[in-house]
Amino acid sequence: MKWRRIWALVKKDLIEFTKSKYVLSAIIGIPLIFAVLIPLSGLLPITNINPADFEGDDTFPDFINNLFASTVDDWESLNMHAQTLIMISYLMFVMVLMLPIIIPAITASETIVGEKERKTMEAILASPITETEIVFAKITSSLIPSIFATFVAAGGYMIITDILIFPFIGQVLFPDFLSIIFILVFGPMISIVSVELMIMISTKVKSVRDSYQIGSLVVLPLIFLIVAGMISFFFNSIATLIGGIAGMVIIIVILFKLATNIFNREKAIIKMT
Amino acid sequence: MLAVETRNLTKDYDIKKDGKRAHLRAVDGLDLAIEKSEIYCLLGPNGSGKTTTTRLLAGILRPSVGGARILGLDVVEDASQVRSIVGLLTETPALYERLTVRQNLTFIANLYDVPKEEIKPRIEELINLFDLPEKIDLPAGSLSKGMRQKVAIARSMIHDPPVIFLDEPTASLAPESAKVVRDQILKLSKLEKRTFFLCTHNLFEAERLSTRVGIINHGKLISEGTPTQLRDLKKDETTTVFRFAVWDDVIKNFFQERNYDVLDINPERKSISIFIREIEKETPTIIDELIKQNFPMFEVRHEYPTLERVYLELVMSENLPRNQEEEES
Repeated sequence: MKWRRIWALVKKDLIEFTKSKYVLSAIIGIPLIFAVLIPLSGLLPITNINPADFEGDDTFPDFINNLFASTVDDWESLNMHAQTLIMISYLMFVMVLMLPIIIPAITASETIVGEKERKTMEAILASPITETEIVFAKITSSLIPSIFATFVAAGGYMIITDILIFPFIGQVLFPDFLSIIFILVFGPMISIVSVELMIMISTKVKSVRDSYQIGSLVVLPLIFLIVAGMISFFFNSIATLIGGIAGMVIIIVILFKLATNIFNREKAIIKMT
Repeated sequence: MLAVETRNLTKDYDIKKDGKRAHLRAVDGLDLAIEKSEIYCLLGPNGSGKTTTTRLLAGILRPSVGGARILGLDVVEDASQVRSIVGLLTETPALYERLTVRQNLTFIANLYDVPKEEIKPRIEELINLFDLPEKIDLPAGSLSKGMRQKVAIARSMIHDPPVIFLDEPTASLAPESAKVVRDQILKLSKLEKRTFFLCTHNLFEAERLSTRVGIINHGKLISEGTPTQLRDLKKDETTTVFRFAVWDDVIKNFFQERNYDVLDINPERKSISIFIREIEKETPTIIDELIKQNFPMFEVRHEYPTLERVYLELVMSENLPRNQEEEES
């Protein structure tokens, strides 16, 4: 692989993203919604409820208590109101982790199907760049905005959430080990999987609209992957963590192989015409 | 070594016809041998296989049967090397509209591994060559159709390729810009010994530029030769036009009485067109007689069949009924 060619393609795509109002508004707008609106709309109303209203004989089921006890310090000593705030904070954090899936659906569609639609792909296909280099570059260029957006959204979400709930739980909830792992390791990996799937779809379809429509179906299994991962990581064992990362790496490698096999110069040019 | 060489070059596409899978033969057993520094024009109607041929030669598509070599390199075995030594102007300029002209050219230069220190001077050279210096930092989307075409041509030459494939290079260009492009092609071919392979509908361009012309229809090469050789295919259809200072029906009678094959009489232009079987032998005789008769003749010229006429006749005679789906994809 020639890195110069890959970087040229990545750089070109990134410049295009910054000049596309649609992509730019998605990369900036969606993280802002996730960072600001979600905590404000989800947590602010609960912080305004009188903690005494939560008191009573009822407790959360053991499963929930066990789940959070392994992650949150002094979980048992917290009152019901504080526990509810923590639970909702984590639940909404899962929504922030949707970003690594959502953003690639936009960027990957734009960068492959968009090129086919505008027929700019032929100039790339006519150059000595290999199919693997094209796929690698497209994954990278779709990934960078996704990771950037996830980091911004997660950062914003964590700060606002902490500000909102600190007075009630008496501790800084984020960033904790779990959120760091998810944002820095699991999030980018999910993003790569999403990009790879979107690229596979993009090579098969003719229009950006088709790509979005089929791409939205891809989001569902990935959401289950995040939720499953989150729940298993709640148990916080190193073995689960390593196993999860190894599993993701295997998925990423398999999908990359599949994507490079599917992305074929000849088919790409025929589909373009 | 030949610049472009094809042997039985054939390309089939899989298509769906009436819900069933079928093959469409877009290029059918093409044999070409193009020398270095030639300007070869491939003429043909829409869907005749020109673009597919170009894509096969540029190493983008793989032949179904047969093969091709560019400067000795096989388009399948050495596809990557072939792509690095050929320049390709696609049917549509297809520039990145949000990128500036400079960014467009720099991007492609990097894909072709043009040494970093050579990119800037190379871009400036091409921009000056195609008279675009004031447009270099404008988004490509803000340029006129003709200017975009010029940028696309510059893009196809950014890596200094010895063999250049140009698909409709002067389509959408204003006459003066088209002339600039034609002049550059001639200059690069003569001075720098570059080989050009042009696909065009523009017969005037083919006639003016090309060292040889190939006519393709239904994927097959139906005729090939220099523009003169092709025109000579219809040499026996040359007409001779006589023009006079003053028109008189006596002139008409002169030709008719002698049983000349009169094709056109135009009293307004004071001219008469006739078909002469043996031009070299008979024309001086007729002129002598006209002078003797004191007809006020001031012009005699032969109208040779144009390449357009030859092309149309060849293509029309070849045009068997064909389904619309069989149009080149």
